[in-house]
Amino acid sequence: MKKNIPQRSPEEALAVSAPAVETEVLITGGQSFKTVTDKISSIVEGKTPQAWYLGFGLAVSVLMILLGSVGFLIWEGTGIWGLNNPVGWGWAIVNFVFWVGIGHAGTLISAVLFLFRQQWRTSINRFAEAMTIFAVICALLFPGIHVGRIWMAYYMFPLPNQMAMWPNFRSPLLWDVFAVSIYFTVSLLFWYVGLIPDLATLRDRAKTRTRKIVLGLFSLGWRGSNRHWQHYELAYLMLAGLATPLVLSVHSVVSTDFATSLVPGWHTTIFPPYFVAGAVFSGFAMVTTLAIPARKFFGLKDFITNNHFDKMAKIMLVTGSMVGYAYSMEFFIAWYSGNIYEAFAFVNRAFGPYAWAYWTMISCNVIVPQLFWSQKLRTNTKVLFVASIFINIGMWFERFVITATSLSRDFLPANWDYFSPTFWDIITFIGSFGLFFTFFLLFLRFLPMISIAEVKGVLPQADPHNYHSEGK
Amino acid sequence: MIEIKNKKGKQYWKSLNELADTPQFNTFLQEEFPGGTDELPSAISRKKFLSLMGASMALAGLAGCRRPVEKILPYVAAPENIIPGIPNYYATSIPFGVNALGVVVESHEGRPTKIEGNEKHSSSLGKADAFTQASILNLYDPDRAQIPALNGNESTWDAFSEDWAKLKEQYSQNKGKGLIVISNSFNSPSLLRTKKLFSKTFPKAQWIVYDAVNDENIYNGLHIATGKKYQPVYHFDKADVVLSLDADFMQLESNSVSNTIGFSSKRRVDNENDSMNRLYAVESSLSVTGSMADHRLRIQNSQIPSFIATLANELRKLGNNIISSSNLKGFGHYKENKQFLKVLAKDLTKAKGKSLIVAGRNQSAEIHALVFAINESLKNNNKTVSYYSTDEMVLSNKNNLFHAVSKMKNNEYSTCVILGANPVYDAVNLDFKNALTKVKHTIFLGSHADETAQAVNWHLPESHVLESWGDTRSFDGTYSIIQPLIAPLFDTKSMGEFVSILLGNDDTYHDFTKKTFKTFNASNSGSKWRKALHDGVLSGSSYKSKKTKLKASRLAQNLKTYSANFDEEAIEITLLPSNSTFDGSYSNNGWMMESSDPITKVTWENVAQISLSTAKKLGIANEEIITINNGINSISIPAWIMPGHADNSITLTMGYGRNMNGRIADSAGANILPIFSFSATSISNASITGTGTIVNIASTQDHHGMDLERLAKDAIQERLPDIVRESSLDDYQSNPDFAKQYAEKTIEKDGKLPSMWERHKYDTGYQWGMAIDLNVCNGCNACSIACQSENNIPVVGKEEVEKGREMSWIRIDRYFKGDDIDNPEIALQPVGCQHCEMAPCEAVCPVAATTHDDEGLNTMVYNRCIGTRYCANNCPYKVRRFNFHNYTKDMPEVVQMAQNPDVTVRFRGVMEKCTYCVQRIKKAEITAKNDNVELNDGDVIAACQQTCPSEAIVFGNINDPNSKVSKLKEQNKNYLLLGELNLGTRTSYLAKLRNPHPELNS
Repeated sequence: MKKNIPQRSPEEALAVSAPAVETEVLITGGQSFKTVTDKISSIVEGKTPQAWYLGFGLAVSVLMILLGSVGFLIWEGTGIWGLNNPVGWGWAIVNFVFWVGIGHAGTLISAVLFLFRQQWRTSINRFAEAMTIFAVICALLFPGIHVGRIWMAYYMFPLPNQMAMWPNFRSPLLWDVFAVSIYFTVSLLFWYVGLIPDLATLRDRAKTRTRKIVLGLFSLGWRGSNRHWQHYELAYLMLAGLATPLVLSVHSVVSTDFATSLVPGWHTTIFPPYFVAGAVFSGFAMVTTLAIPARKFFGLKDFITNNHFDKMAKIMLVTGSMVGYAYSMEFFIAWYSGNIYEAFAFVNRAFGPYAWAYWTMISCNVIVPQLFWSQKLRTNTKVLFVASIFINIGMWFERFVITATSLSRDFLPANWDYFSPTFWDIITFIGSFGLFFTFFLLFLRFLPMISIAEVKGVLPQADPHNYHSEGK
Repeated sequence: MIEIKNKKGKQYWKSLNELADTPQFNTFLQEEFPGGTDELPSAISRKKFLSLMGASMALAGLAGCRRPVEKILPYVAAPENIIPGIPNYYATSIPFGVNALGVVVESHEGRPTKIEGNEKHSSSLGKADAFTQASILNLYDPDRAQIPALNGNESTWDAFSEDWAKLKEQYSQNKGKGLIVISNSFNSPSLLRTKKLFSKTFPKAQWIVYDAVNDENIYNGLHIATGKKYQPVYHFDKADVVLSLDADFMQLESNSVSNTIGFSSKRRVDNENDSMNRLYAVESSLSVTGSMADHRLRIQNSQIPSFIATLANELRKLGNNIISSSNLKGFGHYKENKQFLKVLAKDLTKAKGKSLIVAGRNQSAEIHALVFAINESLKNNNKTVSYYSTDEMVLSNKNNLFHAVSKMKNNEYSTCVILGANPVYDAVNLDFKNALTKVKHTIFLGSHADETAQAVNWHLPESHVLESWGDTRSFDGTYSIIQPLIAPLFDTKSMGEFVSILLGNDDTYHDFTKKTFKTFNASNSGSKWRKALHDGVLSGSSYKSKKTKLKASRLAQNLKTYSANFDEEAIEITLLPSNSTFDGSYSNNGWMMESSDPITKVTWENVAQISLSTAKKLGIANEEIITINNGINSISIPAWIMPGHADNSITLTMGYGRNMNGRIADSAGANILPIFSFSATSISNASITGTGTIVNIASTQDHHGMDLERLAKDAIQERLPDIVRESSLDDYQSNPDFAKQYAEKTIEKDGKLPSMWERHKYDTGYQWGMAIDLNVCNGCNACSIACQSENNIPVVGKEEVEKGREMSWIRIDRYFKGDDIDNPEIALQPVGCQHCEMAPCEAVCPVAATTHDDEGLNTMVYNRCIGTRYCANNCPYKVRRFNFHNYTKDMPEVVQMAQNPDVTVRFRGVMEKCTYCVQRIKKAEITAKNDNVELNDGDVIAACQQTCPSEAIVFGNINDPNSKVSKLKEQNKNYLLLGELNLGTRTSYLAKLRNPHPELNS
């Protein structure tokens, strides 16, 4: 009755021992190793669906809007935006923080949940990581283009130069450069390493010569041997270890852009944890927003089950509550500090000219997640989809509220002014979704959106005790 | 410990919008994106946009953003006395009506770039006002008329001369019959000589002199009182108690620079034992002078006669010998504010010989006569005010123009020569344009193709004063030579030259001027001429003041018949020159047009100032377009609700709504002159209606009028006592440390705020710092324009100002104060870069483009700046200005000549801010180093400091305990703005004091 169970390293044995005690079913539909491979590969290998062309065409069109607006921005200057003297940062920075925040879910799912042995991550991690990378690309765009002299932006990098000038290491913007670029590099590596076994699978199934060569190149000679798996799993574990602190660091660093300044409403020690919580919150919301239609369209109900959504909704509930807590603590501390400027900054947020934005934020980020106390709603994809979009909106507004309200009314009342976006602010933001979805749709079409290798690992068949327990 | 008095009791608000709770504003605030989200900068047309989009799609737009390469050519033959890069300074004089301001002009390689006051000149004393500062830009105005034009077609001076020769022959024969000359007033010996020559050549010709803004009432008033027209010169430096009757003597009235210098010298308080003058202002619209008042009474202009008559009665009761009340019946009786009048009378009497009453030029001659009489009885005449001869002045006489125009309409003139004046614009109410059509030959010498130029046959281009020879006398007779700083940029002639051409005089105007000079410097005129040229003044040329004598019976006779028109309920509309464009002379001047009005803070247009209650009564909202109809003409202008404005009164300013082919002037504001009658500056029979159209006014404060919610108002109330610290003189004497008793005091240890680390000491070498005395600053804008001129600050345009992108490096924050919107006190605060030792901007710049130098300057390295704007965000004073667009891209070549070559012109995408005039500091340091000496106090003068007539701004080395700035910083009134942030700012402020009379609570 003995089956051939592959030899595993102790770590791996440990890793897969979890499902033995895990009673819940992560993958439904009685999948076997073969059906998993077939199902996921077929999305990549099959005929391109009409609807994909439609979506892709739309995404590229929106991307063109972005290119146009960025081109015009470079030509004319940041004056095309609604920025003014007190409000030196507007939508570009809001969008940057928004996209970086979204980029958090991927690494959290793939690295942190991996280390915490949350097996359910396998169905969504590839997807989430891809989302991360594209979101970070979108994020990186904005600090690049928001500077006044884009052609001099390389001054931000510590390059050897004739002036023997270093950048200013005291500036949080410089920390941003390092934090975000490291995050991007590690996320990309992590994603790619995770892709290798699947690329090899696709290579093996490839029918055309081009596919064979391209996939062959990118799968780096993967043969699935025991040695390969041993090295691979170790490498993956190490990358997960490396990526984990980055999850905390990136948004903490981004938050220092605000927290280290002395602008009332920015100058707050609560920002790093609050930003990280918010980032996870928005990241999960975005994964949900993307996964629900993708699952439906590609028929992946067996792989991304309501159980997954249930878990993601719980995380959103937790992080949403953390964010809500942070909002209330900000208020409390502002009052408790006795600092009139600080106190005003927050009262002004809630009741000043930007109250509409503030209450949009509160409604979306604090009230909407309260739906997730109900399991019924957590597993209702329609509710979940709508709620996740609201959370995305709310998180965008959170950054807007922080950036614009604080700057528009700081210390000296003579400087106070109101920021209103222009046409260009708006289409640049919309355009960034074009960039994101162009990449994302390409990913859905050309790469396995669910990790074939990892999903197999959480199938009951992968458990060495599977056959014993069932007495076969 | 001295008990801290509760200074926070004073109520502050920032603008009327906080107090006005109009529904328009509330709905406005609820809008998500006010102002329309789809607005493009107006400079971008659809066509340009499409082409750019196409280019950027192809990513071709990425290249070519760098600035163009320019070639610099060396001199082939170097001129004498010019060292490239080292400016020369020449003294000259700028006439302003019948006064003149002596100036020293900085010239770079023969190109004048900056105007400063001339210390040796009595009207200037080294200081200048905003207008004088800005007149350099008038020289480089690209819209100046450049060549002669005949009926709008290009022509030449030769063609004109030919044409004129024919006319001249005709007029030589008939002695000038049918020839009329119209000019503005002047006070120039040479011009007077030309005028006399003209009269000699054409004895029957008429020479009419008028000014749109003139002091005729003052001269006529003195004529009533003394039988002679005198020029009053005020000595505010000798006056302890000043009453201003609708007289903005520190801004819009004549001789404002000298007035401000005098006033502030009496206003300045060094320590608690010092005394300080007291200013009472009675006026309808809040003026610069009124904003400085210790007691301000807002009444309609038309109530001033009754006010002054009632005051005279009060003074008489106190034993002053003043014309009897029976003679003042026609003035009316002022029934309100009895206490004010009583106290005022008492105060004036107490300060006999040291008090001064000044009436504004809009007040009638009878008022001025009565004011003279009161000053006489208070023994102020010839003490706090001197009177000088007007014999050499060619004074404005509007009546003459009035009569001349009716004669013109009767075809009595065949030739009309207009010299520099612009009657088609400012005599619009005489229908001058129509009258001109009845004249066969019309000749106009003018700097612009303006309203008058468009109505004449010959338009000859006029030179700027910096391109001309000439001479001036100031009020007290001080003689100055006008010497040209540059050859005429275009084919232009000055007024003197032009009249010489008309007369066929062969002398160059230089020789002519020199000959004039000889007439009163018979001996040794050559060396005297050279010295006068060098000094800018002829020493000993000022007159002796005249001992005036009141002719009581003459006065009584005249005042008896006077009858003031006053109808409390009628809404009076008053005409004032603008703080920005004056009478229109500065309409096409970008600096002035964009300078924010000291009181309204409005740029780029004129507004109808109105009080809140009158606006409510008329159902007018703030920024609503109103139409004012006088029965014949009607104008439209946005309403601007002004705290402190008199009820039932509207103030309009002239100098806008121009049609002068000026790129700046033509689009700005409304021409309000048509509703006024020619001789009066006030009407009361117009109908005023709101149109319901709300427009966006480009104001540099209260953008979008958003701060009217209770929340904002309370916040401002809470923080302003800390921001603009002030006290009364009495309280200061009992509590000299009041300025130190705010936020930072509570956390100070050993007199210093705690720091987390040991700070850099900055205790060697020069350490630059500034002190700004809020007690004497009147917000006149001179510093702001001086800075703009010195530091090449671009003009950004109305739309950019509306967006909140004005570029001024030093701005003047204006706050209203007091819990009564109708009677606010004003707090003014000039704010430039504070040069923090722990500068928040420096820490956050990722590329180290803004760093500190060892002299404590917060420096800005434009080349290194990539424009993240993080520094601006982190600046608590928000003094950093960003080049959102390439603001100098379309700057015409001729305007580029106004740029200071010592200061980089900033490209788009870089941040800029006040540098403490680092170019001046470095120049002085290099010179001192070359000479191997140390810099003395006063060797480095910042541009704002140099021009400030109040001497409110003092700059220098704070490491030198004997420097003026160090001494000021030692004062107990010294405080740091937002000092609790512990930034170690180098600019500090001296707290404001007010000197209210103890018996008046307001």
